[in-house]
Amino acid sequence: MRKSLAIASMMLATATSALGQQVEPIEYTLDNGMKFLLMPRDEQPNIITAGWISPVGSVNERPGIVGVSHLLEHLLFKGTDAIGTSDPELDKQYREQLTEIREQMRAYALDVQYDRMHKGEIDNPWDPENDTAELRELRAQMTAIQDKQAEITIKNEFDSIYTGNGASGMNAGTSNDFTIYYINIPSNKLELWAWMESDRLDNPSMRELDAERFVVIEERRQRLEATATGKLDEQFDSMFWVASPYGFPVIGWMSDLMAYTEDEIYEYFETYYQPANLTGVIVGDFDPDDAKQLVESYFGRLENKREAPAPVVTHSVPLLGELRFTGECDCQDQVEVRYRSVPFGHPDEAVFDVMADILNGRTGRLYKSLVEEQEIATSARAGNRSNHFAGSFSFSAVPKGRAELVDLEAAWYEQLERLKTEPVGERELQKIKNQQAADTFRGLQDNSSLFFQLAITEAFDSYEYLNEMPKRVQAVTSQDILRVANQYFKDNNRAVALYTRKGGEKPLITLDDVRASLPEDMAAMMMPQIENQLQQLEMLGIDELKSGLEEMQAMAGQYPPQLKTAMEYMQQQVEQRIKQLEAERNSDASEGDDQ
Amino acid sequence: MRNSTTTLLTSIALIAGAQAIASTDIPDHPSGIEYEELVFEPPVASDYRHELSSGVPVFMAPSKEFPLVTIRFSFKGGEYLEPEGKAGLAGITGQLMRSGGNSAFGPSELDEEFDFLAANVSASIGGTTANASINCLTSNFDEAYALFVDMMKTPRFDEKRLGVLKSQILESLKTRNDDGLQIAIREMGFLMWGEKHFEGRVVTKQSIESITVEDIRAFHQRIFHPGNLMISVTGDFDEQEMLTVLEGTVDGWSVGEISPEVPAPTHVFEPGVYYYEKDQPQVQVLIGHRGIERDNPDAISVQIMNDILGGSGFTSRITNSVRTREGLAYTAGSVFSNKVEYPGMFMSYFFTKTATAAFGTKLVFDEFEKIQKEMAATDEIEVMQNSAIETFPRTFESKGAMLGIFMSDERTDRPSDHWQTYRERVRSVSQEDVQRAANEYLHPQDAIILMVGPWEEIQAGNASSEADANRIVTMDAFFGGNATELPQRDPETMEPIETPKEKVSQE
Repeated sequence: MRKSLAIASMMLATATSALGQQVEPIEYTLDNGMKFLLMPRDEQPNIITAGWISPVGSVNERPGIVGVSHLLEHLLFKGTDAIGTSDPELDKQYREQLTEIREQMRAYALDVQYDRMHKGEIDNPWDPENDTAELRELRAQMTAIQDKQAEITIKNEFDSIYTGNGASGMNAGTSNDFTIYYINIPSNKLELWAWMESDRLDNPSMRELDAERFVVIEERRQRLEATATGKLDEQFDSMFWVASPYGFPVIGWMSDLMAYTEDEIYEYFETYYQPANLTGVIVGDFDPDDAKQLVESYFGRLENKREAPAPVVTHSVPLLGELRFTGECDCQDQVEVRYRSVPFGHPDEAVFDVMADILNGRTGRLYKSLVEEQEIATSARAGNRSNHFAGSFSFSAVPKGRAELVDLEAAWYEQLERLKTEPVGERELQKIKNQQAADTFRGLQDNSSLFFQLAITEAFDSYEYLNEMPKRVQAVTSQDILRVANQYFKDNNRAVALYTRKGGEKPLITLDDVRASLPEDMAAMMMPQIENQLQQLEMLGIDELKSGLEEMQAMAGQYPPQLKTAMEYMQQQVEQRIKQLEAERNSDASEGDDQ
Repeated sequence: MRNSTTTLLTSIALIAGAQAIASTDIPDHPSGIEYEELVFEPPVASDYRHELSSGVPVFMAPSKEFPLVTIRFSFKGGEYLEPEGKAGLAGITGQLMRSGGNSAFGPSELDEEFDFLAANVSASIGGTTANASINCLTSNFDEAYALFVDMMKTPRFDEKRLGVLKSQILESLKTRNDDGLQIAIREMGFLMWGEKHFEGRVVTKQSIESITVEDIRAFHQRIFHPGNLMISVTGDFDEQEMLTVLEGTVDGWSVGEISPEVPAPTHVFEPGVYYYEKDQPQVQVLIGHRGIERDNPDAISVQIMNDILGGSGFTSRITNSVRTREGLAYTAGSVFSNKVEYPGMFMSYFFTKTATAAFGTKLVFDEFEKIQKEMAATDEIEVMQNSAIETFPRTFESKGAMLGIFMSDERTDRPSDHWQTYRERVRSVSQEDVQRAANEYLHPQDAIILMVGPWEEIQAGNASSEADANRIVTMDAFFGGNATELPQRDPETMEPIETPKEKVSQE
């Protein structure tokens, strides 16, 4: 006892020193409003992680263009007027011809193919599988122009320039809330980065739009449709968010992927990728004065062409009841219970995070209770996700053996009740704070991890979040947890997803299961009795069995817990015997009957 | 040159105020940018290497940036030492070392201690090496490290935690047919390495159920002793003090049998088209054959050749043709995974809708043929050479990664000048070398083509959706249209079961 107190006070000192670790990038804003965060570090010599971010994602979309943030991210790798073609003039002509055919195909689809869909002739007006002869002809014309364009295209030049200059890990990512572009470069290649990135922001060619649409469709299949739970998850999200655009899948609905126009894509680009909406971040081995000079020259060229985009307008309505979603897939049985929590930066965000930590890990409450003590789950976890404009908190678990999803759900509500009624113990809370303090250091060790944290927090609000959040976590009290648990987690504001394996059946209880479930002394006594009763079942008729079953069901709550499996087993055997007898009776009755 | 201009401009800016920063001339194309030379000398293992009195090598690279220390104990030994019928023993031993308590504490108590001290502790056993490591705050190093060493040397291997672990694994086995890629990788392993060698072998319900605490103890003793050990330390520490601590750890720890060399597989694979029936909207296509050994003298030519073929993302040919040009896949490429002890595997891969699996395969085969028949252009080779040379410093980017390389090199007897001469050897690869590597180490006619998906649709190809007649391909284009159906397997036992198709026709 003494010992643990001593440790607690020592750790508090460590935690405080972790809080002293301030993240302090150099801030630099260009006249056009584009902001840069510069973070020189020499721990990893010769290397820089650089990139930029726009606070735009699927949450900014609307029906009809869902997925466009992500498609646009792909298209920004397609080069510019100067990069990617050996003949910019001819390339432009080809692009115009392709646009024209694309417009014709779209007009045709909206007319003829929609008509065919209404008549029930086809299911999807955009799928090439459903092409008419006219459409097929247009598509062949398109392919022919693309083949000609390919002759003057310098294949993936945007990538190969970087590759040949020692850049690596070039990539981008789109989320609900942001789109981020990043790369690792040698220290002497910062100007190359400034050239390439400012050029693609200035005049992207969006070359190969039509092929890329199909690449993204394949990406949707790979990430979502051909995965165990992808399609169900997408629908559960959609249901959970009701009005909010957080219900949109980042990858886009299949219908929209097939349909958006070049104009819609450019419109979106010009709205959300103007310099005043962007933040650049450079982390690693570089001279900040050189960097300021470079970004001033290169990114200073960019102009704002539109009004600043408005933040997301549609917020979700509160959940007014319990939503339940059941689905089957080629997947493990699993349950998720999800609640609305709070957006990024909200004062209660830290409380939700601490609550999740109390539940997670091998010393967390979920493992101890659901996995180890009750043995009803093989895994169980909780998590808070505070997006830019709205958040969610969820519990999820996979059952063990014969446990039912409803058992897991009930076990979660029990845990929730504890959070709502019992203050979290001092040591339990201190453990979370200690880990969080150490993790603060761990997260700052690596250039690219630092890059992402700076970029995302600054895109949402300010990197100061990185310094503020650890303090907020240290300040969370057991009273805060009681308050938040009671305020946000209610029976009538949750969504529950229950997935079960397609065609799956719970395995039957065996005699071995029964033996294993009984305490040793009891097993020796009970097993012969059970086996004896099993033999007697054979001699009973349907009516006797049915009334026996009713009796057992009525008594169910009164057996001591160690007999639970044994009694379920007996019940199972009785039910099986009834089924068997009924089947025999039916097959007798149906003889000679044509139906 | 650039440097001096910049410095000058910066000083002017300082005088005139921030808004006076002048604009640099911007070239029309990035090829017009001039760069300062970047000097990089690869680190040398001997600068970081120490030895304990018992001969155990210790690699150390201190840094004061954060008050954290990481110590990694790396042991020779792994899955290749699992006894027959005990697949999964290595993984379970590693996991239970970490979760099963130590001599002083039961499992939950030890977890609590580590968590309270905010120490990240791990133990794992992979294919050929085993690791135990700790990352903790310097302020409570003594306490956390003592608990860790106790765990590593005398783990408790708690029976109840073993039960939990086994039930988790057994539950996860049920999902082995849910994901097409998982099926493809497993079946490729069986076809390529056989089901006996550890590269192809997978755990089964029976093998997991048969594993006992005695098996685990014996396996732990066999691997975790100083005879198999190397140590690396990074973070905030004093080298002399650390050596004293490590001496104390290894002192009196008895040396067991040193792990033998990793055995080579004896299985001979059968080229051809194979498929595993699965109802899904996308097909996983793997095209593979055996590759090369890590220390093959042609390894660098092969690397450059494969970078051009499909190994370097967007810049490579397969990605360009299958993904960028034709829009058939999001993921497409090729890889040589070299092995130290025996030739590894070459594999090309892409995932596409059922109708275009054959067309995509044709495009990949076209690229094989092209790189074998036509000499690659010098500028194409140069891009890959520059990339390999310029990204070279990243190999040693973090101190942990650097020491990891040193340990692995010493354990596998890598030629000592490997890193020092690496860039010269990359630079010397010629057009002829690339073509020769393609002809010597790519064998499309003797490859396995493996597809997971609805075979009837795959086989029929893209005739019903392709507008250009020249792009229509069916599976008749490969191996004379012959294909072998792989048996459906029970996900838990991996035993072949009757195919769903037969079931449907019976109903």
